[in-house]
Amino acid sequence: MGALRFHSFAVMPLTPPLLVALRAVLDRLIPTDEFPGALAAGTDDYVVRALLGDSARELPLIIAGLARLDALALAHHSPASTFAALRPVQQDELLRSPEVAGDPFFHRLVDLAHEGFYADPGNGGNRDALSWQMLGYDPHGGADRPPTSAPATPSSR
Amino acid sequence: MITRPAHLPSGPSPDVIIVGAGLAGGILAGQLAEGGRRVLLLERGDHLPHEAIPGDHLRNHRLSLYGDNTSLDPAGHPRVFVDPTGREHLVPPHDARHQLNAYTVGGGARIWGMQAWRFHPDDFRMASRYGVPADSSLADWPIAYDDLAPFYDQAEHAIGIAGDHFGDTHAPRTRPFPLPPVPRSPSAAWLARGAASLGWSTFTPPLAVNTAPYQGRGACIQCAQCIGFSCPTDAKNGSHNTLLPRALATGRCTLVTRAQATRVLTDARGRVTGVAYVAPVSPGSATLASHTVHAPLVIVSSGALESARLLLLSSSPTHPHGLGNHSDHLGRHVQGHYYPIAYGVLPPGVEQTLTGPGVSIATTRFNHGNPGIIGGAMLANDFVKLPLIFWRQSLPPDVPRWGLANKRAMRDLFRRGIDVRGPVQEIPSPHSRITLDPTVRDRHSLPVARLSGTTHPETVRTAEFIRQRAEEWLRASGAERVWSWPPELKFSAGQHQAGTCRMSADPSAGVTDPFGRVHGHDNLYVCDASLHVTNGGFNPALTVMALAFRTAAHMLRSA
Repeated sequence: MGALRFHSFAVMPLTPPLLVALRAVLDRLIPTDEFPGALAAGTDDYVVRALLGDSARELPLIIAGLARLDALALAHHSPASTFAALRPVQQDELLRSPEVAGDPFFHRLVDLAHEGFYADPGNGGNRDALSWQMLGYDPHGGADRPPTSAPATPSSR
Repeated sequence: MITRPAHLPSGPSPDVIIVGAGLAGGILAGQLAEGGRRVLLLERGDHLPHEAIPGDHLRNHRLSLYGDNTSLDPAGHPRVFVDPTGREHLVPPHDARHQLNAYTVGGGARIWGMQAWRFHPDDFRMASRYGVPADSSLADWPIAYDDLAPFYDQAEHAIGIAGDHFGDTHAPRTRPFPLPPVPRSPSAAWLARGAASLGWSTFTPPLAVNTAPYQGRGACIQCAQCIGFSCPTDAKNGSHNTLLPRALATGRCTLVTRAQATRVLTDARGRVTGVAYVAPVSPGSATLASHTVHAPLVIVSSGALESARLLLLSSSPTHPHGLGNHSDHLGRHVQGHYYPIAYGVLPPGVEQTLTGPGVSIATTRFNHGNPGIIGGAMLANDFVKLPLIFWRQSLPPDVPRWGLANKRAMRDLFRRGIDVRGPVQEIPSPHSRITLDPTVRDRHSLPVARLSGTTHPETVRTAEFIRQRAEEWLRASGAERVWSWPPELKFSAGQHQAGTCRMSADPSAGVTDPFGRVHGHDNLYVCDASLHVTNGGFNPALTVMALAFRTAAHMLRSA
């Protein structure tokens, strides 16, 4: 896991600070608990790829929204901080604030994140079918099977 | 003098041209070719092997966020959707407002949910039973259930339907289904107990699936990627794996793919002479060319929206408003099904099995006889769900849409979610229609379909009644919680699209006669759900199939 992964993109649609903000938001939208979250599953890769492809029209919306998140973090927290540098509880609070929660940017990002995380691994945001393992879903398995037990440590492959 | 397209075999001209190799077109081709007719079957899509229909959870026919898994050249074939406020939207095939056509050999049956219901006898006589609401176009069919019953039987055996002969009694049957019913899941058994506590009878619904090996193909393996996808064991039955291979095996049927009909040809007196179409200059070529082919008989079988569009596109000096549109019914009365859904959470100890197809319990108690309500619906449980579809539709409304609480709810509820839903018999309106858009053209410079209007408002009342019954079923079964959303008046067509070329005994009351022959044209037929005067409170595919067998029998008998 790491930002180096993004070098595989011929064009990176987000500046480095906005990419940091995006990854921080995704980490709160689908956090890690006893099961891996968005970043371990590569959902950040999926979102970037979507913004270069099928959802390219929404790239300006996402860029402006991420920049606004950083601006809100700077304005509302002392000492001044980017969104990514806030503590998780502060990040969640900011994401729940009316000016963010009512923003089309945020709704779209919530959808994109979950599309990537719960779709088939071929779409790139559900690496190793991590979310499906959590749910006990196997598209090819006809035999019934219970969900896997939680891994000892979140997968970071 | 007509030049013969390079993709057609040499030899005599076809006896019949069929436009569309979907569920009905494949049946017609099989029956007519086996009956000795030379058939030319034109299909705008591809003949896709299983491997060419991707298992993409973002681009399939159950969830088509960015595309679907059958469309050829989606960018070249938009439609215009006019919403109830009058605003126009240009919609590509994967947009739900395009209405979910599967443009491929086999049609929607390549990727369908396989429910294969007979209509209720009273579905054919809705106006007689309920009266005609003001401003609606509710009418009786010109045929009765008994006219179609032998062909329902033929379809069940020729296509391969798995069902419960003794439980499924809403329509009289003469012999058992050829295949045993799908297995009943624990959650369906739980629903059966709930229904019994209300005094409602339930049974295992009929599905077009090989529950055992049949006709040389294997059985369903109950995988969890079913509706919206192609079947990995080819156990999902349609005409593409039954009647169409039989047609091709006769040597008398030529299937031309990537061939889009552009008009039905008529001579100076208005008599139908053949079909004009666009197709690759040779198989596999990217270069398209216009072709004409002549035949003494033409059948349009392109689905309710495209069949009407083709007849509208075929206007001529003798038929300025389109073929069969002498009484202004062509393209009107568009119907599908409102689908009220009640969602719930299973109690501890009852879990979803996550096996396909998933639909394994139904009741037909509310199809008719509901006090103060016109018609009704069959109610059934749902297909096995993709995780993303569950996330989008099935979480309780008070679960946060993101964060740990959302992730935990997915984990806790994915195997405990349950829903009950039903296809509501719609009350048709003449204002719900498909016309030719005055400005937007498709890849071949033809006006695209323009969809506008809504069903008759009575439909909303029926849907609301059915929603309450669905909730009642889940509550009586012991669901931990139950929720749903009230229906709203809307344009409705979707994968159950119907009604645009309604059959009628009186030429002034419809587009075709009771055999699907276009009024005023003795050699032009329509055969698909366009013919449905009303669309039943059931998934309509078996009725489409039965009508195709009936039309084929009529043609073989009368020639």
